[in-house]
Amino acid sequence: MVQNHHCEDHETVGENKEKRPKFFINDHVDILIEILKRLDGRSLCVAASVCRLWCTIARNDSLWENLCFRHVSPPPSSVRSVVLALGGYKRLYTGCVRPVRSRLGRMRKASWSRDEVQLSLSLFCVDYYERLGGSNSSGRLVGESSPSSLMFLCKPVNV
Amino acid sequence: MLRYDSTSSSAGSSSGSLSSSSSSSKPPQQDIDGLLAGAGYKVRSSELRQVAQRLERLETAMGNSPADFSQLASDAILYNPSDLACWVDSLLTEFAEPPPTCSSDFIVDPVNNQTVVNSAWTTAEPHTPQVHQNITYDEQQSLDNQLTVVTAMEEDSGIRLVHMLMTCAECVQSGDLSLATSLIGDMQGLLTHVNTVCGIGKVAGHFIDALSRRIFQGMGGGSVNGGSAFENEILHHHFYEACPYLKFAHFTANQAILEAFDGHDCVHVVDFNLMHGLQWPALIQALALRPGGPPLLRLTGIGPPSPDGRDSLREIGLRLAELARSVNVRFAFRGVAASRLEDVKPWMLQVNPKEAVAVNSIMQLHRLLGSEQTRNSPIDTVLSWIRGLNPKIMTVVEQEANHNQPGFLDRFTEALYYYSTMFDSLEACRVQPEKALAEIYIQREIGNVVSCEGSARVERHEPLAKWRRRLSGAGFRALHLGSNAFKQASMLLTLFSAEGYSVEENEGCLSLGWHSRPLIAASAWQAVPAWDNHMSSS
Repeated sequence: MVQNHHCEDHETVGENKEKRPKFFINDHVDILIEILKRLDGRSLCVAASVCRLWCTIARNDSLWENLCFRHVSPPPSSVRSVVLALGGYKRLYTGCVRPVRSRLGRMRKASWSRDEVQLSLSLFCVDYYERLGGSNSSGRLVGESSPSSLMFLCKPVNV
Repeated sequence: MLRYDSTSSSAGSSSGSLSSSSSSSKPPQQDIDGLLAGAGYKVRSSELRQVAQRLERLETAMGNSPADFSQLASDAILYNPSDLACWVDSLLTEFAEPPPTCSSDFIVDPVNNQTVVNSAWTTAEPHTPQVHQNITYDEQQSLDNQLTVVTAMEEDSGIRLVHMLMTCAECVQSGDLSLATSLIGDMQGLLTHVNTVCGIGKVAGHFIDALSRRIFQGMGGGSVNGGSAFENEILHHHFYEACPYLKFAHFTANQAILEAFDGHDCVHVVDFNLMHGLQWPALIQALALRPGGPPLLRLTGIGPPSPDGRDSLREIGLRLAELARSVNVRFAFRGVAASRLEDVKPWMLQVNPKEAVAVNSIMQLHRLLGSEQTRNSPIDTVLSWIRGLNPKIMTVVEQEANHNQPGFLDRFTEALYYYSTMFDSLEACRVQPEKALAEIYIQREIGNVVSCEGSARVERHEPLAKWRRRLSGAGFRALHLGSNAFKQASMLLTLFSAEGYSVEENEGCLSLGWHSRPLIAASAWQAVPAWDNHMSSS
């Protein structure tokens, strides 16, 4: 169990073995990131409510990138720029990857195929496009309620 | 305690074993329902409804207390199993089931029951609407009971509606408009006793409207095909959201186009009906991520001119351009405003001879068909200039229905079947208000198919087999949609999590249907190289 202490206790980073070791994870952000990288989506969101530091780290998109693609053989590097342009990995995960995976029954399975990745990305792109329409609309009906083509995937849980 | 009204409630005197000897006083033989008699049960036709109700109550009771029932089932002695009504009653009395608290005139009192059943059988009495109002929603089992009983009655009315629709269509075809008019009146009366929220009642309502429009307003069909371009776009968008047909069309076409564009650096897509351009973001994204980098993409979108100075085509183009810019795809858009597809001339598209061209037609080609097979009909003209562009691929998605037959009755029958299936599939959609607007979209199609003629009738759907013949005859050969398209379509359907949709592969074409009735078919074509000096063969 990780202790979350508020008192200031300076400790040197590294292998400093005292008789009563006080190890505050918040002082070792790199380790913290490594740990958070391995969490699933829900745990990551819970982690984001622990403290300000964890919240900042959990909002980092690279953690979510890891979550999206950890079970896929490494996608081409161009994927990142596309995903970031379309709204970021956190949005991709919560809006597309998680519902797609759970609908396809893949939450427990270790890996998922390129086709599923592609489909998620395509749906994500359509969603981005519709959001564009929402912001650019000039009183069109579409802009108002902004029907999202991902609505059929969504359950009203905002991660 | 319920008593089976006319015959005696107690059965014969044999004990222990299940005997099939008849009980004391048998009802007259000629009244026995024929179908059930074939299965070995003797029930009077006039009492079928009561028996059905009681069976349903028995089923509810079984569900509620399965432990009791299993004991009862082993203890029960059924003296006359073929007298279905009788032993259902006896089982029910064993349960001492309290009557459901709603709409008592419908189930409990056997005296009233008789009257209700009789009158409902012959003339449609307005009891059904009452049931909906009186239901106490906290009693879920009684609610289910009510609804199943109501459904039994509605099925009957639904079947009658269908028969009347067919008769009316026949009258319209033969020109007997007075009879048709009276039938319309009857059907509208019958509609009040059927649930028009879902099922056959809803579809029938639309068809009745379309028929009456045809009879009373003549073949112009009023303003069915009207509705501004803006409205059409919105309805189209909601149809896109509510059910998977358009998504299937877009994704399948995109997959085929993506594969056809493999290796080309300058590509040009011609979209015969741009609408909101919902098909293209996915293609742009896929091109952005293709190995080797994205090509230069040009998109030419054809659409109706917008009336009030808004340039909707340009707006969509700007949106797509913004998306393309975000993902680093070089993109150029051109809009061609034309109210009819046959008004488009190939020079408007400004196709560059060095680029790979894809022509995309989602439910547009059927609008070019006329009922007469003349030499230079619009479809031939358009197909020939498409061929002149020498596209790498032409993706064609059409409704899988035969709504272009010359005979009205055949067309009507086919449309009734097709759109009932489509409405059924729409039930699976839970998202409002998309569903309501999607229904209006479909309703407009129905109106056009049924109540319009001549040039006003643009929804001239033809099945895939006919399109194959037509396109082959116009100098195209079919390209097989690969397994990737099939996999993607199947995955898309799984995401919709409605159990009824199915994708089928048919000689390289994919079709999406509801419960094995295909409703929309996607195919891909390539121009057969013409041995002409001016055309480059590929």
